[in-house]
Amino acid sequence: MTSEIVLGLLSGIAFGFVIQRVGATNADKMAKAHLMIEAAIPKFMLMAVILSAIGLFGLQIAGIGRTQVLPTSLVATGLAGLLFGIGWGLCGYCPGTTWAAAGEGRMDAIFALIGGLAGAALFAHLHEVLIPLLYEPTNVGQITLVDWTGSTPLSILLLTVVFGGCIAVINRLWDKKDNA
Amino acid sequence: MNKKNSTPSPYWRWLPGAFALAGIIVFIFATFGPPASSSGFVSTLKGALEIAFPDYVASKAHYIMIPDTGSWLFAFVLGMAIGGFVAARTFIIPVRDVPEIWEKRFGKSRAKRFAATFAGGFIILFASRLAGGCTLGLFISGSTQLAISGLYFGVLIFAIAMLTARIIYGNTGKEEQ
Repeated sequence: MTSEIVLGLLSGIAFGFVIQRVGATNADKMAKAHLMIEAAIPKFMLMAVILSAIGLFGLQIAGIGRTQVLPTSLVATGLAGLLFGIGWGLCGYCPGTTWAAAGEGRMDAIFALIGGLAGAALFAHLHEVLIPLLYEPTNVGQITLVDWTGSTPLSILLLTVVFGGCIAVINRLWDKKDNA
Repeated sequence: MNKKNSTPSPYWRWLPGAFALAGIIVFIFATFGPPASSSGFVSTLKGALEIAFPDYVASKAHYIMIPDTGSWLFAFVLGMAIGGFVAARTFIIPVRDVPEIWEKRFGKSRAKRFAATFAGGFIILFASRLAGGCTLGLFISGSTQLAISGLYFGVLIFAIAMLTARIIYGNTGKEEQ
């Protein structure tokens, strides 16, 4: 086994374990997060992003790691977001949680996994048609907050304030504040 | 007096959970690059299709741009399944094939639930491949790198999923409070 595969396996095991413990692989909890009943999962996701952004900045200062920013296509990213939201709201799984939930032995997640393979296969088949049609015409490139604010620390501060604000709003409007 | 909510949940609280996940995400950035999971579906397919249809795989752009099963991407999703397996085997709450809220709304039919998750899985992967990433590969990885694509995608998926869940479940789940 190459080191890349060992690292991938190790990272996946840790990731799958943590998202199970927080309840993100439980479609009941995910639905209740979407219905504004349970706040734990969305707060967990937003806070994980804030902390990761700070951690990644630390890595960049130390000159470690690799980044790769995906481009923004107004139409393709937007349309994909709409479709994804429908699928996520319908089944309560996203691609990552599907693998961990299938590993848990949840039969409905195994069907989501099979459906996901079929959906990915269909897109891969249509890539040559759909990418030039939907993605490329409105592709505005690999833009980030730094292009707008002019500084990475300022962008991280902005992200922290906005995501922190979202956490505060969720904390106020959702019925149950945490998993406890 | 025992209040209904006084028994501690076996689930982790959100804040320590976020620290744990962020630690793993930063580790992944340091040792590999941006974490992603929808690409793992493509790696799985590529690995399988290469055996049966090598010419087809070699001719399609989407399979050319993503590595096959001998890659970090596939090892990661396989690892997530193993992590989920270990976590569930060491957890006090048994796994269910049909979530409680779904059962309350649509009954015990497993076929109905499995058809819905098949359709949901199909849609989220089709959409993820169009955008180039999913909740992890685009929203979490992207926003961590301050990418507009991740933030734009994130706003839409949360808003539409909340709307969709509202349409599907109505007030189911609310009444148990």
